[in-house]
Amino acid sequence: MAKQLAFYLNAGACVGCKACMIACKDKNALPVEINFRHIVEYEGGSWMFRDGFAIPCNVYGYSISLSCMHCQEPACVENCPTGASFKREDGVVLIDQAQCIGCRYCEWACPYGARHYNEATHTMTKCSFCQDLLAKGENPACVDACVMRALDFGDLSELRAKYGMVNAIEPLPPSDLTKPAWVVTPHPDAARSGQGTGAVREEI
Amino acid sequence: MNVREWALVAFTILAQMSVGAFVVLGLVHAWAMQRYSPDKADQLSDRALLAIGPTLALGLLASLFHLGNPLFAYRAVFNLASSWLSREIALGSTFALLGALFAFLQWRKIGSFELRNVVALLAATVGLVLVYAMARVYMLPTQPAWNTWATPVSFFVTTFLLGTLAIGAAFVATYWWEWRGGRLQGSALAEMLRPVLRTLALAGIVLLGLEFVVAPLSVALMATGGAAASVGILTSQYGVMFALRLALVFLGAGVFGLWLYRTALRPGAETLLGRLAWTAFALVFVSEVLGRFLFYATHVKIGL
Repeated sequence: MAKQLAFYLNAGACVGCKACMIACKDKNALPVEINFRHIVEYEGGSWMFRDGFAIPCNVYGYSISLSCMHCQEPACVENCPTGASFKREDGVVLIDQAQCIGCRYCEWACPYGARHYNEATHTMTKCSFCQDLLAKGENPACVDACVMRALDFGDLSELRAKYGMVNAIEPLPPSDLTKPAWVVTPHPDAARSGQGTGAVREEI
Repeated sequence: MNVREWALVAFTILAQMSVGAFVVLGLVHAWAMQRYSPDKADQLSDRALLAIGPTLALGLLASLFHLGNPLFAYRAVFNLASSWLSREIALGSTFALLGALFAFLQWRKIGSFELRNVVALLAATVGLVLVYAMARVYMLPTQPAWNTWATPVSFFVTTFLLGTLAIGAAFVATYWWEWRGGRLQGSALAEMLRPVLRTLALAGIVLLGLEFVVAPLSVALMATGGAAASVGILTSQYGVMFALRLALVFLGAGVFGLWLYRTALRPGAETLLGRLAWTAFALVFVSEVLGRFLFYATHVKIGL
């Protein structure tokens, strides 16, 4: 199997503190409205009222920190009309800023909201897996910033051997769309993609 | 909706209208040649042909407003291997070039009739493939409201409905122009106008029937295809606009189409004939613009 860099998330450990998001924002000097790594908070369950008190029955909630999934079958690369989007040999999906014409078609095609239009450069931007840090032998900024040690990265096959095969939990879309290079240890209350009963409370 | 999405509404509507008008004009021209003579057919269609080019050019110009970097728009054809957007732009440009080439040859009567015919057939074929490619652009797995066969079918209905009524309007404009110039006496145009308008009006009514099958079916496909959220937006937030769109296309192609047909059965009433053809076209045009607006306003992406 060819090398494919991938991210890992332990969704049971993630507390939704957004340190990864801010580290990413800082590292990439991102404008206010753009976050290459963002956090989705998903909640479900119900409670009942008795004698003026709310009694929780099966209430749950968990956070998912996600960036670009550097998919094995990236819809953005397939649909990009200019060829500005490409997949590097190590599996990282990148955008050649000199080639991008800012048509935003990849934004429609990406199921993970990983593509961000930059109003200043008039081009699409995205997570580059901190390729400059990787080249220096350092970790991506988000992984190093995680206070819960919930984030990891590495070769997809190694991550799968270490953490398992799960790559689609609610509220993420089914993984057969683009085959995301991602491994997640689900939160104990998490359901498979498409089988959830909860809802997204907040997406930043 | 913002400027960028209005640019897409303008581009898709104008490009589809150009393709439809080009194909319909070709069919009318072939009919007029059989029934009358090549010279007479040219009198009927040459002016209308010259109106198609600017329409398409305007559409292509509008599409640039969708880009962050319009200056580098030519790069959009670099990924023909896998991107339907690339194919759309390449086919659109090819249709524009072939159409312009044909219009020029036809206008100046350069080359043999057979040669011009081949160029026209080629342009029409590229145009029809363009409409299919335009539909495929929206058929993304992440866009359940668009990813159904209703998208290509409704694009083709729009193409032919607008094309038919635009050509009707163009013919009465040509007629009016010739009348004003005092060249109508004994011209073939006076002879051909009524049978052509009758056929176009009937074609419009048939296409209206198709539209009234496709419009509810597309909503049903949204509901069953995982785009329930889109149905919600369409029926609540944009319910009035959706109803208005259906009412306008019915009024234009149906009521005014029938009126146009009946008026064209008897001689005389030229002014009324012109007004009917233009009103039918204008009403359907507004309806199709609203329909395309709704197409962009109601799509909901799956995932995040």
